[in-house]
Amino acid sequence: MEHLIDFILALFLITNLMMAASSRLMHCIKIVVLQGILLGLLPLFLGHIEASHLIAALLNISIKGIALPYLLVAAIKRADVCRELEPLVGYSTSLIIVLLFFAVSFWLGTKLPAEEPHLRLATPTAVATMLTGLFIVMARRKAITQAIGFLTFENGISLFGTGRMLDFGVAIELGILLDVLVLVFVMGIAVMRIKREFQHIDSDKLHFLGDNQKEAE
Amino acid sequence: MFELILLLVPVIGGILIYLSKKNLTAIRTILLLTALMHNAACVLLILYPEWNIPVFSQYIGTDEMALFVLGIMSFLFLCAAGQAFFWLPVEHKHDPHHMPMNVFCSVLCAFVFTMSLVAVARNFGLLWVAVEATTLASAPLINFHRSAGSTEAMWKYLLICSVGIGLALFGTFLLGMSAKTPEGVAAGLNFSAFGKEVMINPDYFKAAFIFCFAGYGLKMGLAPFHTWLPDAHSEAPSMVSVMLSGTLLNCSFLGLVRVYSVAPEALQMFCKEYFLIFGVLSLAVAAFFIIRQSDYKRMLAYSSVEHMGLLAIMWGLSMQEVTLLHMIFHSMCKMLLFLVAGNILVAYGTRKVELVHGMFGRLKKNSTLWVIGIILICGMPPSPLFLTEFVLIQKAGFILGGVILLFLFMVFCGMTCNALRMTMGEDIPGPVREQDTDAERLALIPFFVIVLIIVSGVTMILKNGYLI
Repeated sequence: MEHLIDFILALFLITNLMMAASSRLMHCIKIVVLQGILLGLLPLFLGHIEASHLIAALLNISIKGIALPYLLVAAIKRADVCRELEPLVGYSTSLIIVLLFFAVSFWLGTKLPAEEPHLRLATPTAVATMLTGLFIVMARRKAITQAIGFLTFENGISLFGTGRMLDFGVAIELGILLDVLVLVFVMGIAVMRIKREFQHIDSDKLHFLGDNQKEAE
Repeated sequence: MFELILLLVPVIGGILIYLSKKNLTAIRTILLLTALMHNAACVLLILYPEWNIPVFSQYIGTDEMALFVLGIMSFLFLCAAGQAFFWLPVEHKHDPHHMPMNVFCSVLCAFVFTMSLVAVARNFGLLWVAVEATTLASAPLINFHRSAGSTEAMWKYLLICSVGIGLALFGTFLLGMSAKTPEGVAAGLNFSAFGKEVMINPDYFKAAFIFCFAGYGLKMGLAPFHTWLPDAHSEAPSMVSVMLSGTLLNCSFLGLVRVYSVAPEALQMFCKEYFLIFGVLSLAVAAFFIIRQSDYKRMLAYSSVEHMGLLAIMWGLSMQEVTLLHMIFHSMCKMLLFLVAGNILVAYGTRKVELVHGMFGRLKKNSTLWVIGIILICGMPPSPLFLTEFVLIQKAGFILGGVILLFLFMVFCGMTCNALRMTMGEDIPGPVREQDTDAERLALIPFFVIVLIIVSGVTMILKNGYLI
C-alpha cells in the first residue's frame, strides 16, 4: 500500500513536468485530467477504506475526470486554438524552473515536523504542484492555458488536503468540487467572450483598462 | 430556519426570473419581491431571534457580526432592486446590446445567495466555498454591457480572485491541521470546534492566518492585492458596483474576521499587525490613485480600497464597534454614490471626468446628490463616517493618526476636486435630451438613501458621548 501511495505521488510530480513542457492545449488538458483522477484514487490507498472515502473518490473522478475535460475541450473548440505558440517563458526554461520548485518544496518538506511515514512525500508534492500551477498561470499567454494552470494549482491544494485526511465531511468536499466545476464553466464563457471581442485569447494583450490611459496611448 | 429562508428566497426568485424570459415587467417585479422577502427574513432574524429554530446548525447559523453583514446586504439589495425597477427599461432603451435581462437578474439573485451563504456559514470549509462562489456569481454580472473593457475586467477578476481565494483554501487546510482536541484528534473546521479547550499549534496557525489573510484580503481589496478591484467596479453596471462595493467587500472582511476570531490570545497581536500594515498601505495606495484619477467610477472604486483599509486599521486597533459602524455607513454612502454615478453615465455616456462638466445646468437633482454624497464619504461632519474616523484618529496616537489624517486629506482633495469639476463650469450646449430626463427620474432612490444617512449622522453626532 505504501508503495502505491508513493507511486501515485511520483506520477503527480511527473505530470507537473509534462505540464511545464507541453505546448499542445489538448495535451495539457489530458495531463490535468490525469492529475484529477490520481487525486481521486489517492484516498483509496490510505489504509482503511470508509464509505465517505469511496464517495469522495467517486465525486472527484467524475467531476475532475469527466466534466472538466468536457468543458475545457468545448472552450478550446469555440476559441479555435490548439497550441500555446510563444509562451512568455520558454519550455526548456519552464522545465528548469519547475525542477527548482521541486527542490525547494522537498527542502521545505525536510523542515516540517515528522509525520506518518506513508505521507512523507505528500506535502512536498502538493507544494510543488501548487507552485507549478501558479507558474503556468504567470508564464503562459493564452487564457485557456491560464485556466489549466489554475486547475493544477487547485489540484495541488486538494492533494495537500487529501494527504492529511482532513475530515470536512462530504458536503464541503462536494462544495469545493462544485466551485471548481462552475469556475471552469464561467472561465469557458469568459474565453468565448474574449475571443469574440478581441479575436484572440492572448491575455497579455488585454491592457485596455488602467489608471493612466493617456500615457498608455 | 430563517437562515434557510434567507438562502432559499434568492434561489427561488432567480429561477422564476430566469423563466420569465423577455417579459421585462415580470423580471423587475420578481426581483423587487425577492429583495423584499430577503429583507423580511433578515428583519425577523434580527428582531426575533427567539423564533428561530436551528436547522443544520453545524453548517449555518448567525452571530452578531453575521447579522450586521446580512442586514447591510439585505438593505442594499432592496435599494439596488428598487433602482433596477426603474433602471432596467431605461438601459434597455439606450443600449440594447446587453446581456439578456433575465440572465442578468437571475445571476444577480445567485450572487445574493452566495453572499448570504458567506454571512451565515459556521464552518471554515463552507465559508471558503461560499466566498469562491461569490466570485463565480459576480463575474458574469461585470460583463453586462458586453464591451471589450468589461470582458477584460471579467477575465482579470475571475483569474486573480480565484487564485487568491485558492491561497485561502490552502490556509483553511492549514487551519484544520493547527487545531487539535486535548485527545489529539483533529478538531475539524466548524467554528464551534474552536472552543476554549482546543489546542492550537502556533506555527501552523501563523501560516494559516497568513494564507487566509492573502486570500480573503485580496477579495476584500486590500493593497497590494487590489488590482482587480478598480477594473471590476468601474466596468460593472451601477447596481452591480453597489453590490460589489457595498456588500461583497464586507463579506470578505467577515471571512478575515472569522479567521482572526479563532486566534489564540498569544497570537492576536501577530494578527493585528497584519491588519494595521495592510490597512495603512491600502489607504496610501488609494490616496495616491484618487488624487490623479480621471475616471469617476474608478475614483469611487479606489475610495472603496481606502475604506477597506480604514476598516482593517480599526480592526487592528481592536475598535470593533467603530468598525461595524464604519462598515454600515461606508456601504450606504458608496451605494448612494455608485447609483448617482450610474445616472450620470446614463446621461453623458462616458466615465471620463473631463467630458462631464456643468452638470448643475442639466442634471440638477443628480449633481446635488453627487456633491453631497462625495462630501459624506470623505467624512465631513454631518456624515456618520466623520464620527468613526474621528474616534479612529483619537485612538491611533500621534504618528499613526497623523499619517491617516494626511491620506484622508489627500483623498478629500482628489474626490472633491473631481466632483466640482464635473458639476461646475459651462454646460454642454444643446437642449435637454431624453437621457437627461431619464437620469433625473432615477434620482429617487439615492435621495431616500441620502436622507437616511444624514438623519442618522445628525442623530449620532447630537447624541455624542455615544462613542467619543
